[in-house]
Amino acid sequence: MSGYRFDRLKILVVDDNAHMRKLVVTILQAFGAIQIFEADGGERAWGLLRDANPDVVILDWMMEGMSGLEFVRQLRSSPQTPNPFVPVIMLTGHTHIDHVRQARDAGVNEFLAKPVSVKAILTRLIAVIEHPRPYVRTKSYFGPCRRRRGHDEYRGPERRAAAEATAVD
Amino acid sequence: MPKEQPIELFMPPNMLKAKVGGTVGGIDVAAIKRAEAAMETLKADFADWVGNDVDRLVQCRDGFARARDVEARDDLFRAAHDIKGQATTFEYPLVARVASSLCKLMEALNSPEALPLNIVDAHVNAIRIIFRDKIKDRSNRMAIELAEELEARVVETTELAA
Repeated sequence: MSGYRFDRLKILVVDDNAHMRKLVVTILQAFGAIQIFEADGGERAWGLLRDANPDVVILDWMMEGMSGLEFVRQLRSSPQTPNPFVPVIMLTGHTHIDHVRQARDAGVNEFLAKPVSVKAILTRLIAVIEHPRPYVRTKSYFGPCRRRRGHDEYRGPERRAAAEATAVD
Repeated sequence: MPKEQPIELFMPPNMLKAKVGGTVGGIDVAAIKRAEAAMETLKADFADWVGNDVDRLVQCRDGFARARDVEARDDLFRAAHDIKGQATTFEYPLVARVASSLCKLMEALNSPEALPLNIVDAHVNAIRIIFRDKIKDRSNRMAIELAEELEARVVETTELAA
């Protein structure tokens, strides 16, 4: 028994499909979550980000109006963002590796491919709680470190560029 | 080309862990059982939900047949994509499979003019039939043959267009 107090967590569920929202919310409630906020699109979610200050966002990719990807980019980079560090679990029917890459490059923490399962949702929630990624700020990106876990521990100087230059020489 | 050098790499304090506590000890089996039981209570609604999604797909198909523009194409894609992602969870895996084939076609032939309406229609009709006949078994021979035929048509069409 892992004993997580999900009742202490504020979770924002963003999906323009009411059925999928209901399914995800039902699963979260069964985990013990009680502070669940729902939005049917990116614009409404942006307002809730400010008003509810969620701890985790579960976000659909494909939505009318602002897409999930646009929402994450705005969340990470906009000067108006209420919390650029909030972990985002991207829920999507896209399953191609290019889509995973796009989501990661937008600043998504965890990728959850549909069809959803109870275990998959719990696993992703535990991942953002137990294995948070470090954050990176470069000229063109702000968000969770895009390297795979296990490489995150290295804190020394970046050596690859120098190594590549040596190899070319 | 050298990698872009990080300007900053930092680890924010783990506020989530501080809030929820818990111990690292694998998956909470009791929580999974509770959630699966909660999903069972929704099952009575699954057929209605898929039915709503299929109705929306048909409406979007009609809209696309009338307008043949980007907006109608995007509406149709979103409807198909929702079914692709959800129908398996809602116990109609072969409906999801055919919707996935339609999404592949639409991703490959992005412009509304390039999208052959007859192949769109074949997918939409297959989805309607599989749902109408309440085919939930993923090994149903008729539905599998239908899905395979449509997938082959999509490969053929997208290869010709490439």
